[in-house]
Amino acid sequence: MAVPTEPRLSHTAAMILQAIHAGQVYGFSVMEVTGLPSGTVYPAMRRMERDGLIASRWEQPSIAEAELRPPRKYYRLTRTGKTTLDAAQKRYPLLARMIVSAETEGA
Amino acid sequence: MTHRARVPSFSFYLLLLRLAAWLAPGEARAEWLAEWKAELWHVGRSHGTGMAGAFRGGRRVTAFCLGAFPDALWLRRNGSGRRRMAAWGLDRMRSGSARRCGALLALGAAASLLLGFRLPATRRFFLPEPYQTDSLLVTIQRGGSEETPRPTVRLGDYLSWRTDAGRLFTGLAFYQPAMGRIRTATGRSASLPIARASGNLFDLLHHPVPAIPAYPADDHRASDPPGGARVVLSRKVWRDLFDGDPGIIGRVADVSGERARVAGVLPEDFWRLPGQADAWLLEDSRTLRQLPDDSPGFVLARVRGESFPSAIDGWTYMTVSQRSGETERFACISISQQARQPLSLALFALFLAGLALPATTALALGEYPVGRYPLARAVRARRWIFLAVKLGLVAPIVFFTSVDLAYGLCQAPWPVSIYLQLASSFLGFLFGFRWALRDQRRRCPVCLQLLTNPAQVGQDSRNFLAWHGAELICAGGHGLLHIPEMPTSWFSTQRWLYLDPSWRGLFDERRAGLAKNGAARAGC
Repeated sequence: MAVPTEPRLSHTAAMILQAIHAGQVYGFSVMEVTGLPSGTVYPAMRRMERDGLIASRWEQPSIAEAELRPPRKYYRLTRTGKTTLDAAQKRYPLLARMIVSAETEGA
Repeated sequence: MTHRARVPSFSFYLLLLRLAAWLAPGEARAEWLAEWKAELWHVGRSHGTGMAGAFRGGRRVTAFCLGAFPDALWLRRNGSGRRRMAAWGLDRMRSGSARRCGALLALGAAASLLLGFRLPATRRFFLPEPYQTDSLLVTIQRGGSEETPRPTVRLGDYLSWRTDAGRLFTGLAFYQPAMGRIRTATGRSASLPIARASGNLFDLLHHPVPAIPAYPADDHRASDPPGGARVVLSRKVWRDLFDGDPGIIGRVADVSGERARVAGVLPEDFWRLPGQADAWLLEDSRTLRQLPDDSPGFVLARVRGESFPSAIDGWTYMTVSQRSGETERFACISISQQARQPLSLALFALFLAGLALPATTALALGEYPVGRYPLARAVRARRWIFLAVKLGLVAPIVFFTSVDLAYGLCQAPWPVSIYLQLASSFLGFLFGFRWALRDQRRRCPVCLQLLTNPAQVGQDSRNFLAWHGAELICAGGHGLLHIPEMPTSWFSTQRWLYLDPSWRGLFDERRAGLAKNGAARAGC
């Protein structure tokens, strides 16, 4: 019988996933929260998007126009990403404390 | 005094992003750049912008932008399925089988030759001689420059040689290229390089131009009687200006203000002599004499072998006493030598590279001791044949590429083109042969695959007790290559260790695994 396996993340990837889960939905904000350089964060996010852990979407141009700035691409966790993050939190117990998500903070 | 570092402006960072964008795959580039530009805007806001859009914290912003390069590279490596397939194919090409190596080299040679044929200035070097030449057919140049695109011989000299130097030449022809205009009977005209030439120019090239036939009275070409000036056209002019008219012979055209009848059309790529021309106006001596005596041109001559004791196989000099009492020196350069010049230069560069090669790399291919299971003679011969094929294919690649570079792509003036060909072919031969030897040393002597999995063995401190260096392995399980880090009297060069057939089972499993991985990657 085949046993379903969850993708195992490196600590860096887990930090990025946790940051997105915590509400840091843009590449630059993930950088600021994790302290990782852009050359690490963006390729890692693309890898995770390819693996179906996160999904990206462009924001409405009207919102960006109203704020006189270029439209931004934001990222969110998928269901698989959430499952993977749960597994990563078990593996790296300090992860959730390092980057606190809004829902955890509220609780 | 305080010193404030200059902070780059927004456009500098934008330039960095645009440079990185070239690394991203084309289909994803626009979206990728839009995301990075949007992020840069927020980075800028986070660090604050000063005058002229300059960011504070410039170093951090620069670091942010530099991160775009690994991101773009990641996208390139992990782009669309088609791109991944291409990358996988490239990996397979790199995996180093002898056949692939030979195929790539043959492809390189064919591509450089094809490029040579495509470039108008180099095509002539790769085509056979269009007219019969021998060492007695020469061009004469004033001073002694071997090849010059400028006409250097005065018409007066040519005319005096015709009358006074019959013992030296069996034939002399003069031509003078200049821009002119051809107007056809239908009123079409074009400005192009036209050579005013003596009537025997093509006779000396053993390509005689026929006399204009007399046409019947009802033929429209009979309006002008035969005789007078004749014009020979290049195939391009015949095709473009006369619409490839099959009845072109005998038609009258106005060539640089002179009525001339078309006497012939030259075959493609026929003209290889110095000076560019698309039409040749053949005139008799009487008409040529009307030109000023000091007007310069080119002289083509067929010399008498007995008059030049050292038969011309290249070039020689001719000293002429002028009426003023001064002497002038002219170089007589064999036409066949001019055609062979790129090859002669390449052979000279090959000789120099052969001398320099031992100084840049070891010539020895290593020790291949006979094991308990000696290789078949055919297997041993194959290794040497492969080396010969590599060297044999590197040579034409270097030759064709250096000719393409010096005469076609750069079109450097003489003699820069010569130096360029010499330098490029020397470097090409040197590094090409160096690569061929190094590549040979890194291949399995049995299957000729490139060796893999380099591993460092031993420690420096054990140099006098045991060997230390790099160990490479043949993925086919034929053996191991040991390369000493520090050559000693007992281990001076790389040494091959044959593995006996008992190891095969292990490598068969590995090969099966590799094949499975390859198939999986192809299916991605």
